Amino acid sequence: MTTSFIHSLQSEWLKTRRSLAAWLVILGGFFIPLIMLTARLLYPDRLPGDSAAPDFWEAFFGKCWQMMALFLLPMGVVLATTLLAQLEFRNNTWKQLHTTPQYLTTIFFSKLAVILLMMLQFLILFNIGIILAGFLPHAIYGVPFPKEAFPVEFFLLKNTWFFVDCLPIVALQYLISLQFKNFMIPLGAGIGLMVASLIALEWEYGYFIPYTYCPYNFFELRKVAGIGQQGVNFHLWALGYFVLFTVLSYVLYITKKEKG
Amino acid sequence: MYSIEALNLSHHFTKGERVLDDITLQVKEGSIFGFLGPNGAGKTTTLRLILGLLRKQQGDIRFFGKPFEQHRTEVLRQIGSLIESPSLYGQLTATENLLVWQKVYQCPKKRIREVLDLVDLANTGAKKASQFSLGMKQRLSIAVALLHSPTLLILDEPTNGLDPGGIVEMRTLLKILNEEQGITILISSHLLSEIEKLVSEVGIIHHGKMVFQGSLDALMERQQQVASLIFEVNRAQQALQILADQYPTAVIAQGKLKLPALSNEATAAITRRLVTEGIDVYGITRGDNDLETIFMNITNN
Repeated sequence: MTTSFIHSLQSEWLKTRRSLAAWLVILGGFFIPLIMLTARLLYPDRLPGDSAAPDFWEAFFGKCWQMMALFLLPMGVVLATTLLAQLEFRNNTWKQLHTTPQYLTTIFFSKLAVILLMMLQFLILFNIGIILAGFLPHAIYGVPFPKEAFPVEFFLLKNTWFFVDCLPIVALQYLISLQFKNFMIPLGAGIGLMVASLIALEWEYGYFIPYTYCPYNFFELRKVAGIGQQGVNFHLWALGYFVLFTVLSYVLYITKKEKG
Repeated sequence: MYSIEALNLSHHFTKGERVLDDITLQVKEGSIFGFLGPNGAGKTTTLRLILGLLRKQQGDIRFFGKPFEQHRTEVLRQIGSLIESPSLYGQLTATENLLVWQKVYQCPKKRIREVLDLVDLANTGAKKASQFSLGMKQRLSIAVALLHSPTLLILDEPTNGLDPGGIVEMRTLLKILNEEQGITILISSHLLSEIEKLVSEVGIIHHGKMVFQGSLDALMERQQQVASLIFEVNRAQQALQILADQYPTAVIAQGKLKLPALSNEATAAITRRLVTEGIDVYGITRGDNDLETIFMNITNN
């Protein structure tokens, strides 16, 4: 089972080559860091102040995550998950895939694993971008590098939470995308839930909505008063929703009457 | 020994009428089985059912003597299939498409080159599958089906989109695979003429019912029974009267004289007689030997 899962995973990973989702991950990962890099290159007079700041990396990380956490990451996850899950519908390949000697469980989880791996890939690229955008202007203009040591633990922890907080989006989008051939249905549902989550951010029970956790994590990161879910461990909620949606998605997939 | 045994299959879609009604399909090991029927007769539904793409509602499916449901992965390892339109990843090249399936089947990588050579797509290089013509896509799909060296091939209308040359090539390829590698082939088509040179066994499905199953020779015999001979003459009514005593079943259809199928000698004798009686014979053709007529005849009987 493990061996066949690895083979299946390799096969699924190959399918992402040159796909729109793969481009989205690469471009999306470098988009914000590129803007930040450009801004820092345009205002070199601010670099010495950055060098001296005792919390330069935390502040810069927060700035980079601002648009990303509120809009771009949830949107990117909606798009990438939908695109990847819909790959078989778009290419008319479900029938070929379901006549291979693989357990349906293997197919289901290898596809999900590829989506999670791509999300991980996105986070890695995004962080590489942040680090480059942080260091490069100093190197180019000969300004001393930030005196603060690079906070590896902080980066790892915050990224892990963003990853966890995206999981419900992945699972729900995966569920919808596997059920509907029409690309617009999962996309519409994703955008709709995203907008609902933005509206509900200040609602005391906003954490009920599974798409709110990335913004909440950001507000926690920036310590924004008044918004967020103090006292509620929304990361746990995210994990709970992820498990719930994944189980539901699996059951629906396995019991589907038509498999291609 | 049967490679495929689908016994008493029935199927209906939600709220709809039965699309398959007590279908029994038996494909002998080593044979080429032609699964015929007009569009919408239930061919694809049958093939999707036996491959597990549709949930079985009624009946029994066995491959190589083993129940499909209990031996699904083991059985699918020995089957190559092409159902309806090509299943290809448009953004990938031909080699990459095959690599996707090679990872799953874990067959030797050299098979990719072998099957690409076999379907004449070895030189497509970096061209993406989405840029292929329909014929090329169809051939690549055949390559996918053959990649893991299956012992049974299930092909649903594989000649769709192929030009006449491509159809001949496909027939030759399937013949070689059957004769030289002993691969059992189940091929569906809505055109008898397209596969009659290929198949040894035939099954005909019509309105979801299996109306004929047997050897090609047996089908040809039936075909002969329903076939007719059509004389295009200048005075059809007079010609009918001349032949009425000898061929009482002769009729006039669309201004032409229609008789039951006859031997060459009898055809020559009728022609001579008509000419002797002053009737001009413009042409003699065989009629009603198309698949649809055979369907109608078999169904009516």
